[in-house]
Amino acid sequence: MSHVALRPSERGFTPREHGGFGGHVCGGRVGGAPQSPPQRIAGCAMSELVRARGLCKGYGAGERRVEVLRGLNLSVEHGEMLAIVGPSGVGKSTLLHLIGLLDRPDAGELRIFDADVSALSVEERASWRNRRLGFVFQFHALLPEFSLEENVAMPLLIAGRPRKTAFAAARELVAAVGLAHRREHFPDELSGGEQQRGAVARALVAEPELLLADEPTGNLDAANADALFSLLQELHLSRSLTSVIVTHHEALASRCGRTVRLTGAAVEEVCSKT
Amino acid sequence: MASVLTLLAGRYILGLRRRTHVAAVSAISFGAMALGAAALVLSLALLEGFQATIRAQLADSGTHAELRPRVGRTLPGGDWLASLRARHPELEVRVVSGGAVWCLAPDGAVPAELEAVDTLSRVEVNRLLAARLGVGAGSEITIASARLALSPLGPVPTRRKLEVGAVSAMRPGDERPVVRVPAAIGAALLEGAGPRSVVLRDKDPSQAWRVASVVQGEVPEGVEVVSFAELNRPLLAALALERAMIGFGVALVMAVAALNLLCNLALLAAEKRADVALLTALGLSPSRVGRLFLLLGVGVGALGGVLGTFAGWLAAVVLDRTHALPLPRGVFIVSHVPFRVTAGAVALVLSVSVVAALLASLAPARAAARRDALEGLRYE
Repeated sequence: MSHVALRPSERGFTPREHGGFGGHVCGGRVGGAPQSPPQRIAGCAMSELVRARGLCKGYGAGERRVEVLRGLNLSVEHGEMLAIVGPSGVGKSTLLHLIGLLDRPDAGELRIFDADVSALSVEERASWRNRRLGFVFQFHALLPEFSLEENVAMPLLIAGRPRKTAFAAARELVAAVGLAHRREHFPDELSGGEQQRGAVARALVAEPELLLADEPTGNLDAANADALFSLLQELHLSRSLTSVIVTHHEALASRCGRTVRLTGAAVEEVCSKT
Repeated sequence: MASVLTLLAGRYILGLRRRTHVAAVSAISFGAMALGAAALVLSLALLEGFQATIRAQLADSGTHAELRPRVGRTLPGGDWLASLRARHPELEVRVVSGGAVWCLAPDGAVPAELEAVDTLSRVEVNRLLAARLGVGAGSEITIASARLALSPLGPVPTRRKLEVGAVSAMRPGDERPVVRVPAAIGAALLEGAGPRSVVLRDKDPSQAWRVASVVQGEVPEGVEVVSFAELNRPLLAALALERAMIGFGVALVMAVAALNLLCNLALLAAEKRADVALLTALGLSPSRVGRLFLLLGVGVGALGGVLGTFAGWLAAVVLDRTHALPLPRGVFIVSHVPFRVTAGAVALVLSVSVVAALLASLAPARAAARRDALEGLRYE
C-alpha cells in the first residue's frame, strides 16, 4: 500500500542522493564529550543539516536541577533518516525540541541549515518552525475543533497562504496519506493511526526540509505503528526529506538509515546502513 | 495574517460544544456582557427620557433667553426692541423692570422682588412667595413699595391691593420670592425704575436652545444675551452630573462582566494549553498567540455588547411606546416612565463593551503568549 504522492519540491532543491534509507554519501557522526572532536565532521561539513556541539540542557534550579543533556555532539546529514533511541528521561525529546527550535540550549552550539539558531529572534524561530521544520508528536496529533483537512492546512494558513491554496495543498497531502475519504472528519471521529497519519500530512504540507518526529508510534498498536513508519519512510524518500525520529521502538528504529542511542552525555552509534 | 487568527478564534468560540464546561462559562461570560450592555442602554435611556421631559418642561414654561444690561450699564433706549419684534415675529419679547417691595397678606408680610412686565395683564406670584404668604390664584395681596405717597397722616409707602391671577413656576436655582405685575402697575409702584431686562421666548418651545444665538448679533452694545443653557445652568449641570454618575455606576456591571470574561479567557487558555503549544510548534509566534486571545476576548465582548445593546434598545422602545411603567398623576409631570435611546448612548455602550473586553483580554492574552510551548506539549 502506498499513500505517497510524488510531488516535486517547489523550493527548487537540488536532488539529493539516496541509496535506500540512510544511503547518504556522508554518514554524519556523533561524538561524546564536548571536547571530543566529532568524527568525519570536517569532510562533511557542507552536507550537515543539523550540527550540535557541546549541547547542554537542564531543568530546574538549585539542588533540584537535573542536567539532561551534558555536552552533546550530533550531526545530521542532508537526506538522512536518523532514529534516536534511548531510555526514558535521557533527553531524546529535549534534543528534538532544541533542534525544533521549541527550546534553547543552556550552552553549546546548535547550527541548523548552516545557521547559528541562537541568533534567531522569536519571530524568526516561529517562521522557521512554520516553513522549514515539520513536527509529528506522540500526543496532540490534531486540533480537536478542526477537521482533518483544516488541521493539515493549518501550517499554510499560519504562513499566510490564501485559504484556497492551503486547502488544495492539504487535500493533496490528505490523499497522499490515504485519508481522502476522511478529510472532513474531526479528530474524535478518527482512529489513533488515522490521526497520526493526519499529523504526518500536516507536518509535510509546508514542504519542510527537516521532519522531526517525537515517538510518532508511541500511542499505536504494532500494525498501525508499522504502517505509520512505512509511510514516514516513503514520504522521506519521495519528498527528499531529512528526518529525525525519536522512538523507543528498536525494531522500527532499525529501519532508519542510522540509529543512535542517547545516553545524556554522549551519543552512541547503534547502526548505520551507509 | 489575520485570517488564521479569525478562523481559530471563531472556531474556539463556536466550536466549544466539544468542551462543555468551557462552553458554559463562555456562554455565561457572553451573557454577562450582553446583560451589562442592556442594563447600561436601559439606564441611559431612562435618564435621557426623564431629562428630556424636564428640559422640555423647562422650555415650555420658562424664559428662552434674556437680554440684560452689562455691569454698570442700563438697557439702552431707542427702537431696537421694536426692530427685534419686527424681525422675529416667532419671539415673544417682554420688557421687565422691577425693584424691592413688600407683599402683604392676611397671614403675613414678605419682602419680594417685583417685576413689571409690559406684556403681562395679570398679577403672578411665584410658588415660593405664594407659599410664604399662604395665597393662591384668586387671593388678594397688597404690594407696598418704598415710593412714598402723601396722606393726611404724612408720607406713607405706596400700596396697591391686587388679586393674584396665577401662581407661576420657579426657575431652577432661583430662590427669590417674586411678584410679577403689568407694566402700568409696576410704574405706579416703582416710579423711575427703568427696564431691567428683556425676556425672550420662542413660540415653539423646542427652539429654546437657539433663541440666544438668533438674537446675538442684533442687540445694541452694552446688552448681554443670556442663553437658555446659561439661565438654567444649575439644573442642567445637575442633570449632566446625574447622568454621568448613574452611567458610571451602571457601567460597573460591565466591569463585573469583563472580569468574568477575564476568568473565562484564563480558563480557555488553560484548556487550550496543548492546542496553543501545537500551534506554536506549527509556527504561530507568541505575539500571534497573544493576538488570538485578544481576538477571542474582544469577539465575545463585542458580540455580547452588540446583542445587549440591541436588546436594551428594543426593551426601551417597547417600554416607552406601551407606557408599560405608569406613574401616579399629580406626583410626576409625566404619566409613564419615559425611555429615550440616543445614538450617542448606543455608541458609548458599544465602545465601553469593546474597551472592557479588550482590557479584560490583555492579561490572559499576555499569559498565553508567554507560556512555554513545551509545557503544553508535555501536558496530557
